Amino acid sequence: MKKPNNAAKHKLPKKVVSQPAKVTIRKLPTGVRGLDDIMGGGIPEFSFNIIAGSPGCGKTTLSHQIVFANATVKKPALYFTVLGEPAMKMLRYQQQFSFFDESKLGKAIRFINLSDVAMQQDLNAVIDEIIKQVMTISPGIVVVDSFRTVVRTKIGGASELEMQSFIQRLAQFLTSWEATTFLVGEYVQEEIRDNPLFTIADGLIWLSQLAERNSVVRKLQIMKQRGQNSVPGLHTIRISDGGLQAFSRTLGLVGKKMKPARNRRLSIGISELDKMMGGGIFEGDSLLVAGPSGTGKSALATQFIAEGLRHGEPGVMAIFEERQKGYTSRADSFGLNLKTPQKKGKLEILYLRPLDLSVDETMQELLDAVERIGAKRLVIDSLVGFEMALAPGFRTDFRESLYRMIGGLTGAGVTVLSTVEVEDTFTALPFSQYTISFLTDDIIRMRYVEIDGQLRKVMVVIKMRGGNHSKDIREYVITDKGVVVIHPRSTDYNGLTTGIPTRTGPRQAQEEERAPEPKAKK
Amino acid sequence: MRDFAERLIVYETRENKSSETKTQAAFLVGEKLRPQLAALMGNVGFRALISRALALSNAEIPWLRAVHVKADGSFEALDELGAQVDPDKIFEGRVVLLAQLLGLLVAFIGENLTLRLVREVWPKLSLNDVDLGTGDKNEKAE
Repeated sequence: MKKPNNAAKHKLPKKVVSQPAKVTIRKLPTGVRGLDDIMGGGIPEFSFNIIAGSPGCGKTTLSHQIVFANATVKKPALYFTVLGEPAMKMLRYQQQFSFFDESKLGKAIRFINLSDVAMQQDLNAVIDEIIKQVMTISPGIVVVDSFRTVVRTKIGGASELEMQSFIQRLAQFLTSWEATTFLVGEYVQEEIRDNPLFTIADGLIWLSQLAERNSVVRKLQIMKQRGQNSVPGLHTIRISDGGLQAFSRTLGLVGKKMKPARNRRLSIGISELDKMMGGGIFEGDSLLVAGPSGTGKSALATQFIAEGLRHGEPGVMAIFEERQKGYTSRADSFGLNLKTPQKKGKLEILYLRPLDLSVDETMQELLDAVERIGAKRLVIDSLVGFEMALAPGFRTDFRESLYRMIGGLTGAGVTVLSTVEVEDTFTALPFSQYTISFLTDDIIRMRYVEIDGQLRKVMVVIKMRGGNHSKDIREYVITDKGVVVIHPRSTDYNGLTTGIPTRTGPRQAQEEERAPEPKAKK
Repeated sequence: MRDFAERLIVYETRENKSSETKTQAAFLVGEKLRPQLAALMGNVGFRALISRALALSNAEIPWLRAVHVKADGSFEALDELGAQVDPDKIFEGRVVLLAQLLGLLVAFIGENLTLRLVREVWPKLSLNDVDLGTGDKNEKAE
């Protein structure tokens, strides 16, 4: 037998053609919730950026947040103020924000006023002063606020070439000194094409303020960012006590874990309806419950959540039309206890009815609640109320944003039940006034029908994506147990979906004056 | 606020051997604060602030009416007046002016940031027991 060759046993590895390692660009946190996601992870270190926009958009607040998030004694931040908001006022107002950490002032964050130099001398004197300070302090972050005023003051005496040379010199110097720079200025978008500043800059964060009817909404756009991908488009920002918060158009859902296999069915809490749905709703589905006012959509939604809680699945209910107390009282009347799970952190009921909400920030609230308690079931009651709570400018984006949110949530395995109020026309069976059925996997339609001199209620499963379902139109009542499906399908009527059916079978004996469905307790 | 101003002056007198009198020390306190504040708010900003402090002090210290603020925020005619006015009154005027300046700072940027600025100029000065928030910046000396 041939002996194995030692040399063969220890084969030399194939010669690998070594590739020079790519530079890794470190990303600095912005200190603004949601903005790191939008920027593709943060601000590229040593980049030369512009924060632009009209007055009142939050430019200074944004730059302060970046400074406070990054400045340390070892790597301080230099904040040059130039003829813009006086430093005293800046400190006076900015200290109202929760991110303002006064212990950082002095050693980690230094404010230097360049107004005198900018007013009395030329651009070279301004850059010399910046260079002097940067060489002395060796900062990690440099902000010039407002850079626009530096340029505006000096533009009269300087040619475009001089201006470009000034900006180039500044950019090269600050990058060489390993500073991440932010030039803050009031610009208008028309300037982007001709102003050399925008050509030289690595990053351009544009803030704007849009008014529509009586509401005002702030937006942020990453118009340029070298070295990494950002989320394109306009993102809503809100300024509150915590400073700026950004709401990404992707709602931060990109890269979330994928949908689990659709093999588990969840009970909706109404056994007959589960049967109609072929055994329940698939986990991770989006279910739309459509029907006119009073047909029991909220009751059904409550039963759906309560059933989940019974099985240890935390839930979130976002309610827009009814207050929390009304919801818990109704649940009580059905024998469903929502208060205890709320206390135990297994259920959150969000009453969202503020004015001027942006669709993205509302959805962020829902996503936060879902994440906070690890919700497996989410109710949105109702889509009409949700839309009404939004600032007028956002209503046009409603469907698109809803699509993204539902897609993201169901993709992460959350089962979503949304209700929508539709008007019964008695000639047709619309599912909703929105063309939203495309974003739901399953649809249940509830409606009134006139039968034997009574206005009764029927429901039908319209659609179950990926599963078979009953085609029966079933009558139901709302009792002290909630929504209860009664009677098998009726074969004695035609045209139930119109609401005004015609009798085809024999007339049944009618009970006299007995309420067909006990009212739920108040 | 006046107590705090006096405290700064006393501290400066003790620390700075070159200042032979408390009036000189009072002058030095102002001179040390000036570049610190001018770096933050620029000469124009500092001039505006010290002018306001001077105007507020005038009501209490009449001889200060003859004093004017120069473009760089320093005082004009203060030295000349020094030869004509009683040194104790000069000292009092300096204290009131400093108290007004500190009072304005507290009003604009708050007690904490004001103390932080002071601490940057006199890092060894203990300020733990200082409470600038309760006093009236225009309070008169006891």
